[in-house]
Amino acid sequence: MIGDLFARMRHGDRNALSRLLSHIARGEFVDDIRSLLIPSPQAPSARVIAFTGSGGVGKSTLIGRLIPLVRAANRKIAVLACDPQSPLSGGALLGDRFRMGSTSDDGVFIRSLAALSGSSGLAKHLDLMIDALEAFGFDVIFLETVGAGQGDVAVGHHADALVLLLQPESGDDVQWEKAGVLECADVIVIHKADLPTADQTMAQVRAAIDLSPSHHIPILRVSTKLNQGHAELWQALESLPARRLRPSIARRLFQHLIESQECHLRELEAEANAELNKLLADWQAGTLSTVDAARRLSALFSRSLLASADVALRDGLAPGSRSPKASG
Amino acid sequence: MSQPQRVVLAKVGLDGHDRGIKVVARALRDAGMHVIYAGLWQTPEAVVRTVADEDADWLGLSLLSGAHMTLVPRVLELMKEAHLQHVGVIVGGIIPEADVPKLLEMGVAKTFGPGTSLDEILAFLQKPRERTP
Repeated sequence: MIGDLFARMRHGDRNALSRLLSHIARGEFVDDIRSLLIPSPQAPSARVIAFTGSGGVGKSTLIGRLIPLVRAANRKIAVLACDPQSPLSGGALLGDRFRMGSTSDDGVFIRSLAALSGSSGLAKHLDLMIDALEAFGFDVIFLETVGAGQGDVAVGHHADALVLLLQPESGDDVQWEKAGVLECADVIVIHKADLPTADQTMAQVRAAIDLSPSHHIPILRVSTKLNQGHAELWQALESLPARRLRPSIARRLFQHLIESQECHLRELEAEANAELNKLLADWQAGTLSTVDAARRLSALFSRSLLASADVALRDGLAPGSRSPKASG
Repeated sequence: MSQPQRVVLAKVGLDGHDRGIKVVARALRDAGMHVIYAGLWQTPEAVVRTVADEDADWLGLSLLSGAHMTLVPRVLELMKEAHLQHVGVIVGGIIPEADVPKLLEMGVAKTFGPGTSLDEILAFLQKPRERTP
């Protein structure tokens, strides 16, 4: 059933894509979908841009203003917009899309997602949803977090670029010295720049950012009220240097590596196999990061290679135990 | 645990009265449903696109403008074209009694007029419904 749905999605059936996203959001068939979504290395990949900032700063509104600019550049765009889910009832009021403007344009897809509290402002299995939208053929994917705070940096792991929205009157200059999301942003937007203290906020943020001269972060003033700054923002996003390696892509590479090494893995000793299975289970469960998993996998390989080299050496030196293959 | 139902709530046409639909949205939220609030001044085309992209179980339309006999059939027709017949449609607002049977005949699951209690709407939506794969 899920294979059929997947095939329909691959053939451009938008309702199938939509249903697939629902399954992913509910955590259904996740393993099957993950194995179906390993794309060919030649497949064109989408540019994923995340938008974060506190509730009410204007993330949805800003995305709504950027969508026509993305469409004008002849790119198809999908938006995954997260809003909080009630810890009490499990219910949610997903109110992002109505700020993004209404459209029936085929090149625009918007999905509202509920995110549990304590989930870094993101819905579950976001990486798989991104892969599905990419497989369907969207060129640009916007992620919108739940109204997020200073420490909510997880969205950066899913995106090629992270846009942080700030607004005037939201703190003194020490706020901008703090560690966290401010360090992780690729572009900072001072939204509601029509407000009288926007200049002051801009100057404070600029001063704080410039204290770390190692990387230059564009800071842009945008006013949706005055309809100013959106084109400049889209230009800045388009001209960002080549993508960083998203963890979801690293995950795919890792999967390729595992598959290509499968023959070798079969030769591993029982103990190593158990360790390998645990490693894979932890990684799939998300308790082990891809980078750590790769490190441990690599260590496991070298150890098993050394062990087999040891055995070969010992066998080779022991009289009478030489295998026919090893001779000569 | 059963999965929360996804409900799109929208106002079509030029009617600007959104107090009622917001109260309903809040009640559905508190009953554990996922409400996608599409808001005011939607075109039938945009509403149907929202239902499709959000993979909704229900579409709730609120009309207080008197345009329901024009806009509701249009929405239902577009939903059929988009292969969304599995989505239940409910209509709330000012719907004259004489029009209710006509709307039900067209495929509306139920209408809720003034004085409807929130419990009545919830009870209707929470009745078990089959989901197509």
